[in-house]
Amino acid sequence: MTTMTCIRPENLDEAVDFLHHHGPDTHILAGGTDLMVDLRSGKHHRPYLLDTSRIDSLKTVQISDDLSRLSIGSGVTLTRINTLPLIKDHAPALHKCSFTFASRQIRNMATIGGNVAHASPCGDTIPPLVIHEAEAVVANKDGNRNIPLLEMNKGAYQSALHPEDLVVKFILQARQPGFSDFQKIGRRKALATSRMSMAVMADKDSQGCISFIRFSLGACTPTPQRMHDVESLFTGKIPSVKLINQGAGLLAEKMVEITGRRPSITYKEPAVQGLFKRMIYPMVTWCRQ
Amino acid sequence: MTQTRIPVQFILNGKKTAVDILPEQSALQVIRDELGMKGTKEGCGIGECGACTIEVNGQAVNACLMFGVQLDGCRVMTVEGLAEDGRLHPVQEKFLAGHAVQCGFCTPGLLMSTHALLGENPEPDDHQIVQAISGNICRCTGYQQIFSSVRAACGQSDQGSVRENQDSKEERC
Repeated sequence: MTTMTCIRPENLDEAVDFLHHHGPDTHILAGGTDLMVDLRSGKHHRPYLLDTSRIDSLKTVQISDDLSRLSIGSGVTLTRINTLPLIKDHAPALHKCSFTFASRQIRNMATIGGNVAHASPCGDTIPPLVIHEAEAVVANKDGNRNIPLLEMNKGAYQSALHPEDLVVKFILQARQPGFSDFQKIGRRKALATSRMSMAVMADKDSQGCISFIRFSLGACTPTPQRMHDVESLFTGKIPSVKLINQGAGLLAEKMVEITGRRPSITYKEPAVQGLFKRMIYPMVTWCRQ
Repeated sequence: MTQTRIPVQFILNGKKTAVDILPEQSALQVIRDELGMKGTKEGCGIGECGACTIEVNGQAVNACLMFGVQLDGCRVMTVEGLAEDGRLHPVQEKFLAGHAVQCGFCTPGLLMSTHALLGENPEPDDHQIVQAISGNICRCTGYQQIFSSVRAACGQSDQGSVRENQDSKEERC
């Protein structure tokens, strides 16, 4: 067993200061649910463990006065995402993803900041954050900077964060859309790591045409993707079975462009289309209401 | 090599507990190895089976995924804290009466998930029950007896099928 030293800062400044001096030698502990598994597997071992779980400023959730921006602290657990009305109202796909995120036990500990910073392609909170055009507010000794969610991951498990960085919060473009959903496919019903996930939110005009849509694909590509082509296809149209089939085909095509034709594509190509259709079909009825 | 141990204090099953631990120790190692309480089990060790479920501040968590230092200042409950004065907790009684125990390895975790559920929501519906125990895997008893016993512990009849509720859960999620 190697030695490790635990640091338990009471506030953000202390944490940032420690990372400034020891960032590359430090594991940041938020919820711990991924870190413990990594340490156990012997993947990496650094001498310092920085426990951020008692920094209260990382746990706040706020909406701006004009209701346009929702701020979610990096230390907010998935259970709180599941129970806070503010998130249910202003980021409903994120709220929905919290129902199927791992297990109750893990949701009680795991944080949104950890889920994003771990840079796993299968992080369930990522597609919902992408459709809200979220930015991570990252602190280090030089000050704060914002990183768009789509630029957070350079590749699978490769974060754009520097060792001295600490994710403070996420700023989402808040919206109360008429239609929203999150769907995923895992190997079993509960406690499943996503093999494929997607999030959508949309609004319609008085004629039932899609006036606003954001769509993101996760888990099956190395980094999260916002699918602009799929969004453009639906914008200004009334969803029909034909349009949805066309959208599913386009989505599969775009996915293959990113991943290439790997052996798993035999499964992924029809699966991504099936999941898309399951998620988007309810729009047909919704747009005609 | 001498390792730096750090002091951690928490309330364990109602009693003030102080222990010096290593930073990399999990809450499970602290409870089992440092404090010698073997009721909490280690199954997979990576948060997939739920055998190590304990309650921290009223919430069910996987002790194997939690660092021991995270227990500091918390109210912690393990399966040993359920029975009082030699009398089983009602949840334990329902598990016994409903034949929800075969080899018993998953039982402490399931009891703690059920206890945490009842603490948060004394009258859960079937879907909420399934959600609350879906992070606990049992490989021998069969989920129907467990589901029925949890249902009984929640003051409901033992009617209703776990399968129906899992299917409805899938539709909803």
